[in-house]
Amino acid sequence: MIRFINVTKIYHPDVRALNKINLHIKPGEFVSVVGQSGTGKTTLIKSLIGEERIDEGKIVVGDWDITDIRKNEIPVLRRQIGVIFQDFKLLPKKTLRENVAFALQVCGQTRQKIRSIVPQVLKIVGLEGKMDRYPSEVSGGEQQRTAIARALVHRPKILLADEPTGNLDSINAEEIIEMLLRINKFGTTVVLVTHNREIVNRLKRRVITIENGRIVSDQAVGKYLL
Amino acid sequence: MIILSVLRAVKFSLQDLVRNFWLSIVTVVILVLALFSVNTLITIKVISQSAVDSIKEKVDINVYLKNEAAEPEIMALKAQISNINQVKSIDYVSKQQALDDFRDKHKNDPDVLEALRQLNKNPLSPTLVIKPKQVENYDDLITSINRIQNDIIESRNFDNPKQMLGKINGIAAKVNEAGMFVSFIFILITVLVVYNSIRVAIYTHQREIKIMRLVGASNWFIRAPYLFSSVIYTLLGLAVTALVFYPFLTLLQPYLETFFAGYSFNIVNYFKENFWRIFLLEFFSAAAINIFASWIAVRKYSRV
Repeated sequence: MIRFINVTKIYHPDVRALNKINLHIKPGEFVSVVGQSGTGKTTLIKSLIGEERIDEGKIVVGDWDITDIRKNEIPVLRRQIGVIFQDFKLLPKKTLRENVAFALQVCGQTRQKIRSIVPQVLKIVGLEGKMDRYPSEVSGGEQQRTAIARALVHRPKILLADEPTGNLDSINAEEIIEMLLRINKFGTTVVLVTHNREIVNRLKRRVITIENGRIVSDQAVGKYLL
Repeated sequence: MIILSVLRAVKFSLQDLVRNFWLSIVTVVILVLALFSVNTLITIKVISQSAVDSIKEKVDINVYLKNEAAEPEIMALKAQISNINQVKSIDYVSKQQALDDFRDKHKNDPDVLEALRQLNKNPLSPTLVIKPKQVENYDDLITSINRIQNDIIESRNFDNPKQMLGKINGIAAKVNEAGMFVSFIFILITVLVVYNSIRVAIYTHQREIKIMRLVGASNWFIRAPYLFSSVIYTLLGLAVTALVFYPFLTLLQPYLETFFAGYSFNIVNYFKENFWRIFLLEFFSAAAINIFASWIAVRKYSRV
């Protein structure tokens, strides 16, 4: 599903955010990527969605070599990869329903399709009763669930979660992880970038540890090593 | 799908204009000033051209004939003069017609009419009134008429209007130059203001643009609303200019009527008759300038 072959990313003047990374994530896997701040985890995510260009190596998503992806192909790639962030990235002046619908509107989906898909996805994440509330009117966990719903509307094969529990209390964090596991169960490949030791240890899934831009550990059923 | 995307881009663009209400107002006002200055320039050009035309229309050469000149001799002379290349038309005004015209011209002046009555005879001469084809060839026409030797010619009146036309043309050219300069300044200000408006609009929507990119919006979809905004600015600016400019012309018209006494000229009608030509041309020019300014701003600032 995702292949990193000898990937190096250098930030000016000589900071190696990724240093000869070799990685293969199979379809349907749930992978946690752990490491201290500034070790290259977010650069890994950014290079997967075409936000950062790598300096060496090759990145393949499915059968698509995205190493030298053209600018006009990036939107197509992003419709195939769902992404959620620590700060949710919701539009404050739109309701939860409108936030999710926005992802379909910008891709030119018809009104009928949007009307049928959005409530379904919001129901999957347990927000069917709060669709017309604004982000400021719901909890952090519910905001993150809205972000997940927005990431899922394109039915992506891959879901990237960059510190999704970073702004949440333990109960909400637990709910989000449960949700990611459920999504993974339906066949979506999930890449979870996190600092949360407890979550990683309890998941008992594959754990990749990055230090100074290098993979220092890749365990099939891993633990938080740092 | 393309139509749907275009409609959504227009919707986002309108939302943006309303959300940045005061910024939109300032942009439209500057556009109105620029378009108003361009229209004023057009008005000046039309007025000066009409002034030149009205003078050209009044330019003629009078050949005064002797009182005793016989009609056949006059007709022969008229035919001879009308054969000259530079002659557009030639009219024969008989003694009686000259008298009638004189009386009509001074019908409200009892002293003049009384003086005429006391003379007890027609003091006016028969005249040949010659109009030149082109005022520029006036000198050649005078030379040709001077060459004609005929005993029935009493005198020739050759007031040369070229100097006056030259002055009017000179003033018009100077006013045009000043107008062009003012218009250029306003167009430059418009470009900067539109550029800045789009830049501010993009800054206020940085988060939205970032999310749009994140969820897979194409570059076109992100940029199109801002380009539409510049077209909407142009339309609004043009509409306001038309609304303001026509009353302005209506106020100007009475003064022009006095200035162009005896010459049919109506600036309001001119703008009405040429409405589509003037305003469509202005729309396309202003839209092109605004889209250009917006395109640069969008390219530079929408890379979130």
